[in-house]
Amino acid sequence: MDINKVEAVKNLSESECVVDFLLKTVSNNECKTCGKCVFGYEGITQLEMILRDITVKKAKPEDGELIRDLCGQMIHQSICEIGSDIAEVILFAMDHKGEEIDGHLMKKSCKAGVCKKFVTYHILADKCVGCMDCIDECEEDAILGKKRFIHVIDQDECNQCGACADVCKEEAIVKAGATKPRCPKKPIPCKKH
Amino acid sequence: MRFTIDGKEIDAKEGQSILDASLAAGVYIPHLCKHPDLEAVGECRLCSVEIDGMEEAVPACKTEVKAGMKISINGEKAEKVRKMAMELILASHPSECTGCPKYGKCELQSMYQYMGVGAKRWRKKSRVLPNNDSNPLITHLFTRCVRCGRCIRACRDLRGANVLDYQVTKTGVRAGIKGDISLKEAGCKFCGACIEVCPTGSIMDAVGIIKEDRSYSDCVVPCRSACPAHIDIPRYVRYIKNGDFQKAIAVIREKVPFPETLGSVCTHDCETECKRGELGSPISICRLKRVAASQDNKSWKKNTMKSEPTGKKAAIIGGGPAGLTAAYYLAKKGHKVVVFEENEKAGGQCRYGIPAYRLPDELLEGEIGDIMDAGIELKTNTKVDTPRRLLEQGYDAVLVAVGTHQGNILPIEGYDLRGVYVNTDFLKQARLNTPRTVGEKVMVLGGGNVAYDCARTAIRLGAKEVHIACLENEKQMTATKDEIEEGTKEGIILHNAHSFLRITGEAKVEGVELQKIENFYFDENNKAVLELVEGSDKIISVDNVIFAIGQKPSGTADMDLELIHGSYIKVDEKLKTSVSGVYAAGDVVTGTKSVVEAIAAGRLSAQEIDRYLGGNGDILEVLIEPEIPSAFIGESKEFANLERGAVIDVKNARLEAKRCLQCDLRLQLTNPKLWTEY
Repeated sequence: MDINKVEAVKNLSESECVVDFLLKTVSNNECKTCGKCVFGYEGITQLEMILRDITVKKAKPEDGELIRDLCGQMIHQSICEIGSDIAEVILFAMDHKGEEIDGHLMKKSCKAGVCKKFVTYHILADKCVGCMDCIDECEEDAILGKKRFIHVIDQDECNQCGACADVCKEEAIVKAGATKPRCPKKPIPCKKH
Repeated sequence: MRFTIDGKEIDAKEGQSILDASLAAGVYIPHLCKHPDLEAVGECRLCSVEIDGMEEAVPACKTEVKAGMKISINGEKAEKVRKMAMELILASHPSECTGCPKYGKCELQSMYQYMGVGAKRWRKKSRVLPNNDSNPLITHLFTRCVRCGRCIRACRDLRGANVLDYQVTKTGVRAGIKGDISLKEAGCKFCGACIEVCPTGSIMDAVGIIKEDRSYSDCVVPCRSACPAHIDIPRYVRYIKNGDFQKAIAVIREKVPFPETLGSVCTHDCETECKRGELGSPISICRLKRVAASQDNKSWKKNTMKSEPTGKKAAIIGGGPAGLTAAYYLAKKGHKVVVFEENEKAGGQCRYGIPAYRLPDELLEGEIGDIMDAGIELKTNTKVDTPRRLLEQGYDAVLVAVGTHQGNILPIEGYDLRGVYVNTDFLKQARLNTPRTVGEKVMVLGGGNVAYDCARTAIRLGAKEVHIACLENEKQMTATKDEIEEGTKEGIILHNAHSFLRITGEAKVEGVELQKIENFYFDENNKAVLELVEGSDKIISVDNVIFAIGQKPSGTADMDLELIHGSYIKVDEKLKTSVSGVYAAGDVVTGTKSVVEAIAAGRLSAQEIDRYLGGNGDILEVLIEPEIPSAFIGESKEFANLERGAVIDVKNARLEAKRCLQCDLRLQLTNPKLWTEY
């Protein structure tokens, strides 16, 4: 068991994402440059691809089970401890940070706000002055609204580039992870002028 | 010791792995990274099994059998490991099998079909890499590599050549050449072990090496299959490499009774096929044979076969290489053999056709002497009337092997002038020391080896300026490269792609008129077509003209046998003629070929006649106990650069033999049995 890695999983702060951490760990794993055993080499190849998919919101719900299945075999069938250690770390993370990982798998959220694809942008109703700056900036035309109306981001169109937040002088546009601020569904007249 | 696998009790040897013991007992367990001749590494886990009392599945290849073990192959845990391993392998292997050159012969394909798994639930990863066919003989298609490591272990552990290893590349890890250089630079010995052990289509023989119409072993060892007598060339070359000339000559003599003759005059098709040719020049196989033969101390004689007398009598008409070879093996099979030779001495074309500078009398005498030692009666200066007469006189079988001793003459203008000779007569008279007189300038007409024999003999008879003219261009000429080169060195002036229009002169030859040929080919009716260059005709003044445009059998019309194409004897595939008990072989059947073809025909006729006389037709001799050569060939960075020796003698023969790729070693590797074979 790789105690250091297990400790690192345990000690991840609220701003650190466990899936992101696992992906980085897997990407730098020695199994990638060995190639001698199927479970070590092909296992790490699969883990990297699956974890990457999870971080970019492309995971399938059954991927969690797939990882468990794979790691369960890697522990016993890799020819050296490098393969079994990494499998153990991943299984440990799944047991101890299951909720956070499931959030990704269900394509809901990255609690730490690290995985870009899970971050959403929102325009706060009490700060927006309806100046149209963000609407002009958005290349995806994902922001609804007109002058003096509170602008609203269409989450289906938004690609989380963050350009709107940069241009907003009122600091009305915020990032959100798992908990989202309450915002109007459609543009309504501004309270603040 | 005994153990149980899937309820079946089987025997195992001490120290044997579960996998080896099971496979030996005919119980199949899938396996990929384990090759029968290579160390087990337990890396693929396809051979996972469950052992009673053990928590997890274990790789059968890496687990030693213990007495009383209870093993199950298809337990839930083992099956799960095996299936996942195969799925993972397939996930990064190209999914399209039909376009792969290994299709149908691929171990991976066979195994996943057996297991019935696919990679559906995994992420596909393609590691696309261009095929590398820049190396001689071996093509790399590493997109298909499954990292089983078999090629690496074969190259490193089995052969000791140490050329291949795991390579970390941008597209992942795979087998490859250490340092990503060319095989030649890496010190590859081109033994082909990597090709042989690769379970997929990652390492393959270069396109064209494996031919559909030949057996696999013939393709792998092309020198041996190209030799009409099928001499075990790699085996004797290896003995020469080890300095063991007596063993080498024994190997050669297992197939031919004329080793030194062949070493001197063979057309050596083996060298044309030699795979080393792809690296530069082929092994000097023919000359190595001569060196071995020149060192012969006859120790092979103690192992020769000699059957009990059968009481049967065979007559051989013609004491050339075909007739004498047949006589030799028939005598060994216990038959009484009499050879009837029209000339003063036996040897046929070797005696009266091939010039003495290529094949000295003493050499031929020696080899014929060894043949006669088998107990053959030779009647020289004896002309027989018909084979049928011999049967009537009490011979049980007759072989006609009279060769082609009548030279062809082209009836062009001036063919009957004084000073015009024909190849067979010209060469024979020279050989008899009663040579035809030649003037200062001689023109030989013809483009084969016999033309060169005539031309080079003319030089030795004192001609100052010798020309050869032939219809064929340099590529079409049938003379071997060696002959053309040596002829050029001796000053022969070659007019290839020239037609001979006429021989000029009043009573005596004064010259030959030639015309350049633009195009020469045979049309669909096999008729020669000549397209001449207009205005290119010229007369070359010469004193003699020698026709060397082919030769045919003589005297066959009076033999009371069915003929074909004029004077050739018609035979079936068993060399039987139209008369029962009468066989024919050699040039008289095939037209003028080579000494080695005649020997091969002699062997075949001996087998058939022996069968006809009630024998088993087996003329194979074991003159030296077969030894298994070492699989280890070692490292040598310079191997690919070793150059062919110009002159091969006893001193440098070993060096030349060292260049051999030992293609036959590859056939010693065990071919892993697929599940369908269990």
